[in-house]
Amino acid sequence: MGKMDESKNKFSELSNLKKGQPFRVPNHYFDDFSARLQNKLDAESMKVPEPQNLIIRVLKPALGLAASFALILMLVYWPLKLFTPKEMVDNTNLGNEFIDYEYRTMVEGMDENSFYVLLSEPVQKVEISDDDLLNYLSASISDYDVYIGTDY
Amino acid sequence: MDTDDRDLITSLKDDSTREYAFQMLVKKYQERLYWHIRKIVMNHDDADDVLQNTFVKVWRSIEGFREESTLYTWLYRIATNESLTLINSNKKRNFISTNETSEFLMGNLTSDPYFDGDEIQMKLQEAILQLPEKQRIVFNMKYFDEMKYEDMSEILDTSVGALKASFHHAAKKIEEYFKNKD
Repeated sequence: MGKMDESKNKFSELSNLKKGQPFRVPNHYFDDFSARLQNKLDAESMKVPEPQNLIIRVLKPALGLAASFALILMLVYWPLKLFTPKEMVDNTNLGNEFIDYEYRTMVEGMDENSFYVLLSEPVQKVEISDDDLLNYLSASISDYDVYIGTDY
Repeated sequence: MDTDDRDLITSLKDDSTREYAFQMLVKKYQERLYWHIRKIVMNHDDADDVLQNTFVKVWRSIEGFREESTLYTWLYRIATNESLTLINSNKKRNFISTNETSEFLMGNLTSDPYFDGDEIQMKLQEAILQLPEKQRIVFNMKYFDEMKYEDMSEILDTSVGALKASFHHAAKKIEEYFKNKD
């Protein structure tokens, strides 16, 4: 019961509060407000929006597109190039470079006369008979080699 | 809508009488709107900015006013929205989260040289600032301005039932706040 009375007192305290504004304004605030508002409206009406340059307006979509492509290229191509191991990039031409190097070494090692003779020599076809081939094989390969080279 | 306001709107939509009618409108509503705004933003400088922005918006959009609501509720609606926009932009600028809104507004109140309330009034403002935004606005409009629920419904775009419930909850919370503080 006592608690209820207390609660009632608190509520009546809220109800009996002065409802007046606890706030105030600077002196003559409302008298001057119209004039200040008018100044603000005048200032806003003086602000003429700047007309956009025609060239910029025409080029804007194209420039935007170009910039997007450049950005995509930069975001995709550049990191790929940066993070791909260097060896993988270099290996693609390794075979050709090796053959070129062998050939160059051989040519550079020859004297001038041999080189011209080699150039002028017709390419001869070497013919090997079946008997020659069998003789070569039987001299170079043993029976055991022939046996382990057989599938069955 | 009262006859005065209807005449005012007619004059505002007529180019030849527009400026004079606008001055009349400002004179008629500046104080009421100011106190409504002040209770939302809590300090004089912000209230002054919002009041000016409100009337600038009214000046720019009066031709498009379709008279579906009364002039008075339309003005209050613009003022309320402008007040909330200012609070949100201030909060963003100062990196204030939603949970810290009441402390932020309390800071606005205590730093304002134009607050004349006594200890009890300060405590009441503290209690009001603990309420969620919508309840706070509803409480102020009902408790201080004694506005009709029907008008509040137009201004806040909320049903009368929801507004009554909102005011009831707000009053209960304030009562609790007073009880716990003593």
